[in-house]
Amino acid sequence: MSDQQPQNTPALLQVKDLETHFPIRKGLLRRQVGAVKAVDGVTFNIPRGTTLGLVGESGCGKTTVGRSLLRLVEPTGGDVLFDNHAVRKENSRGLRSLRRRMQVVFQDPYGSLNPRMKIRSILEEGLILHRVGERAARLEEMKQALERTGLSASVLERYPHEFSGGQRQRIAIARALVLKPEFLVLDEPVSALDVSIQAQVINLLKELKQELGLTYLFISHDLSVVEYLADNIAVMYLGQIVESADVDKLCHQPLHPYTHALFSAVPSVEVKKRRQRIVLKGDVPSPSQPPRGCRFHPRCPLSETVCCEVEPPQIDLAGHRVHCHIVSREVERCGADAAAVSEAMQVAITAAISDSTSPHSDV
Amino acid sequence: MAALLEIKDLVTAFHTSKGRLPAVDGVSLSIERGQTLGLVGESGCGKSVTAMSTLRLVASPGRIESGSILFTTEGESIDLVSASEKQLRNVRGGRIGMIFQEPMTSLNPVFTIGDQIAEVVQLHRRVTRSEARTRALEMLHLVRVADPEQRLDAYPHQLSGGMRQRVMIAIALACEPDLIIADEPTTALDVTIQAQILDLLGDLRSRLGTAVLLITHDLGVVAETCDSVAVMYAGKIVEQASAAELFRHPLHPYTIGLLQSRPDIDNRDSGPLATIPGMVPPPQDFPSGCRFHPRCSYATVPQCSSEAPLLREVIPGHFVRCHFAEEINL
Repeated sequence: MSDQQPQNTPALLQVKDLETHFPIRKGLLRRQVGAVKAVDGVTFNIPRGTTLGLVGESGCGKTTVGRSLLRLVEPTGGDVLFDNHAVRKENSRGLRSLRRRMQVVFQDPYGSLNPRMKIRSILEEGLILHRVGERAARLEEMKQALERTGLSASVLERYPHEFSGGQRQRIAIARALVLKPEFLVLDEPVSALDVSIQAQVINLLKELKQELGLTYLFISHDLSVVEYLADNIAVMYLGQIVESADVDKLCHQPLHPYTHALFSAVPSVEVKKRRQRIVLKGDVPSPSQPPRGCRFHPRCPLSETVCCEVEPPQIDLAGHRVHCHIVSREVERCGADAAAVSEAMQVAITAAISDSTSPHSDV
Repeated sequence: MAALLEIKDLVTAFHTSKGRLPAVDGVSLSIERGQTLGLVGESGCGKSVTAMSTLRLVASPGRIESGSILFTTEGESIDLVSASEKQLRNVRGGRIGMIFQEPMTSLNPVFTIGDQIAEVVQLHRRVTRSEARTRALEMLHLVRVADPEQRLDAYPHQLSGGMRQRVMIAIALACEPDLIIADEPTTALDVTIQAQILDLLGDLRSRLGTAVLLITHDLGVVAETCDSVAVMYAGKIVEQASAAELFRHPLHPYTIGLLQSRPDIDNRDSGPLATIPGMVPPPQDFPSGCRFHPRCSYATVPQCSSEAPLLREVIPGHFVRCHFAEEINL
């Protein structure tokens, strides 16, 4: 399909205005009284063979995005196109054939492997479900998948509890790979692992992507891991993407105040990389009652009246997309140069912070 | 003057069906007044057991087998290893505060947070209920909980993770301890909330002069908050130095490996991440000789597998447990 339009291949995954709201029901009749807007209008594309890193804090909806793509939770609005198939319109049969091509690896390798099943049954389940080959052929597939993840065929007859966290995560990856998917949703796959083991799994994921030409949605709260693995990054806050760009632009020229704060909050070993820490006030508000206007305004050091009332416009600086009133004003002032705007934002935030932390305020 | 806390040759072992498992095997540490010491290592290295031993909170089948923990305050030294339960009650929550990783499970769900802060104050000070409650309110102000008057009567489940951790800090600080032991205080929190908590801890430390023993697996957190660092591996301290020195100039192969295996935007295109092969051995399988030798790329001579290296001062103030520390130093 892709050879028809070599110039302008559509992305493998196209997500437009995705919405996943969970109803809040109350009372005897379980009447719906509200909704948790976990994902509220998310748009992104993932070109074939690339990795999109989706970052944000807990409760921002990043995991729900991953699950909505596979319809592990039903989205309530928007479109998901996977290789030009409308995922939301597929019936259960069509969905099954699509899911063979889209697999998922979850965060917790202790919770995601059934303790009462041998590794053989865990890996084989998907193959049986998708009617792949005979017994012998399936065994061959399983051995291959295990080998790719650095495990030997001897693990097949063992149970999950016999393995360490890093090995379990390899098994979970092997389970995802055994169906030869094109697209993987990786939901915090290394967060539960120790530093030295984490590096092994990161290398494995990177290798697999290159060897098998996989496309990843990499969901994580750990910015350093995302920076290392992703080609593009999208930053989520309260159910929406506030900024997205390729990894270099996003890391070196962040625009949105939330992205600035997020990057400054990551503790670094190297003194020269340490940025002045922007400490945000308060917690992430509840997604059932998101703030009016810009959702970040109650915690934003730069918020103004307009931020509290009007939803921010999207600004697109050569593929670097951001939703922010202040950025839009800076663009008018300094022109459409992301580097200059990023600089101006940094200066404004630093000034706002040093004002608010003067000795007589707070504490 | 003696150090605030002086741990000497601490051995804590668990006696299980698998035999004697020495989780902490000869650890020595010392913390000065007002200082922050970071104790880093991966899961299973014994860092939490070291912290629990300090307050004698290790539950059976674990037991402190030898060593001493001298805690010196107001010119008076007590050895926490041999102290009576009565003396310990005084120390726990009074002179030494403790913050655990998971604030949801370490707060009692059926008491209001006001009650839980007041409880510590009433246990250690001669105060009335209402004085204790006033103190609880003060503490909530101090740890910057929003609307402290209302929060006083809130239950733990009504608070967010960051708020709960602030309450834990309030409890730990309520009796103005000389030392706080913080076991992974920010691991369960998001980065922006982690930044708030680290900021708060740093601020309280400089204002109240409290010393902190910070236990964490996150080297970044240590680099940004600690004065000195001890790296633990398989029950032993393998490297110890000031934070600035350790991160600029790591000498133990394990520390070097940990630092190199951190992913970073600047090393993304330079081939795979450096890894430490294998995994942390469980206490029943601690290797002979240097416990790190099966995973170590420097371990090329028989000496590494036969002879346990000692913790040596390789550069003034910089201690390393490795036969090759001098070579690595070059």
